Amino acid sequence: MSPVSQETGQGTSTIHEVLERVCCAMHIAEGFLPPAHAVAWGVASAPFVVHGVRSLTREVKEHPESTLLLGASGAFTFVLSALKLPSVTGSCSHPTGTGLGAILFRPPIMAVLGTITLLFQALLLAHGGLTTLGANVFSMAVVGPWAGYAVYKLLRRYDVPLMVAVFCGAFVADLSTYCVTSVQLALAFPDPGSGILGALGKFGSIFAVTQIPLAVSEGLLTVLVMRLLVQSSKGELTRLGVLLSGGGRARNKSTEAVAR
Amino acid sequence: MLPIDAAAHSSRWRRRHPVDKAVLGLGLTVLAISLPPWPGAALVLVTALTVLLGPAGVPGRKLWRAYRVPLGFCVTGAVTLLVQVGGPEDFVSYADDGAVRAGELLLRTSAASLGVLLFAFTTPMSDLLPRLVKAGVPAAVVDVALVTYRMSFLLLDSMRRVREAQAARLGHTTRAASWRSLGGLGATAFVRAFDRASRLQAGLAGRGYDGTLRVLVPEARVSVRFTVASCALLLTLVALTLVLEGPLS
Repeated sequence: MSPVSQETGQGTSTIHEVLERVCCAMHIAEGFLPPAHAVAWGVASAPFVVHGVRSLTREVKEHPESTLLLGASGAFTFVLSALKLPSVTGSCSHPTGTGLGAILFRPPIMAVLGTITLLFQALLLAHGGLTTLGANVFSMAVVGPWAGYAVYKLLRRYDVPLMVAVFCGAFVADLSTYCVTSVQLALAFPDPGSGILGALGKFGSIFAVTQIPLAVSEGLLTVLVMRLLVQSSKGELTRLGVLLSGGGRARNKSTEAVAR
Repeated sequence: MLPIDAAAHSSRWRRRHPVDKAVLGLGLTVLAISLPPWPGAALVLVTALTVLLGPAGVPGRKLWRAYRVPLGFCVTGAVTLLVQVGGPEDFVSYADDGAVRAGELLLRTSAASLGVLLFAFTTPMSDLLPRLVKAGVPAAVVDVALVTYRMSFLLLDSMRRVREAQAARLGHTTRAASWRSLGGLGATAFVRAFDRASRLQAGLAGRGYDGTLRVLVPEARVSVRFTVASCALLLTLVALTLVLEGPLS
């Protein structure tokens, strides 16, 4: 740790270079939204975050040791969003990590972990902002995880193989985050000619260039990570309920993955 | 450590109470989004920049590196305001007041970003997080945030080392190898995070861990003079905006 903390030159700049592109395309920047919109999105995301905080507090009260595991999960979410992802178009970007986070830790916990991560990104990396925290939480810590988790659970219920469900969950989580952000921007800046729908088309198309290939890339990365985790961390995944979510069949599938 | 946090730890205002800096930095941000962009946000931008580079002593180069990140998003977003869809002549045409709207948006976003950067560049996370309990955030959430904060740097350092090791073993030479390496990197982050948590838990259990993480917070008092001066500066900005708005618009 000492070389990195002492030298603000090479060590930190390398990390910074990796981090400064952390999915900045989907974080609404500080001051971008008018005050009324910023407050409204804060109010919209508050119930989900409060629900997550209550379940987290209950969990920590029952099992004090969970604080450390939840902290580790938060750090994992933060670091996951710093991985450099080769996009299928050839450019580079970073995953949102909301899909994998929701599958591993469940959406209510992800609402809290996502809020903490977004706060860190706003203050430590200048990604996102404090006035736009509500809007970013709504898209990245609420809608993304819930949409991804819903698709994952639905597919698992119909006995779709684990890795296919994981890919679809991560893909939908990323894509829904991008769609919600486009809606947020369109509502704030309606087109002078065609109103909100026209603005939605503009913002949607300008971000689609990077986000649709990125959603595919994130789905692929999530599958790769999950395959390795099934091999190396079966205990943790079982404790988190990932391998038991589909009953006996899920266990069979995971055994197959280990055998491969 | 990340550059902003490292700069905050060695800042001139490091010993000031976070409330002092929040009143000034976040006050400027609130003014930036609530006052009219011209001349309000422009005045806030100049003030924030002067305070950052002057009394707060933030190096210009570090500030630019942090500031260019939100700037990228703002420019991309502002470009869309230059055109309109579904006009009477063409499907996509130049919006009449597009340039003005885009300029106002850039002014507002830049000023608001600099306000938050003033707070971030002078207040280390380790000073801020433990004090959030007094602001009403549940202690359990603050503890989780503290563990997340401290573990993130260790994990980032581990990830950098793993990446270097993968590169040295030709792990990034082909597209397939890159994907394999990336998957390994993500899985390693998970394994190391949980391994570190379980070792931390064992260590804390040996020291009588009862569920609360007690950390030493550097003592600091809210400076009445600094806070009053900050409020006076903010009020002056509001008054100046109201006075100049008519003649300048």
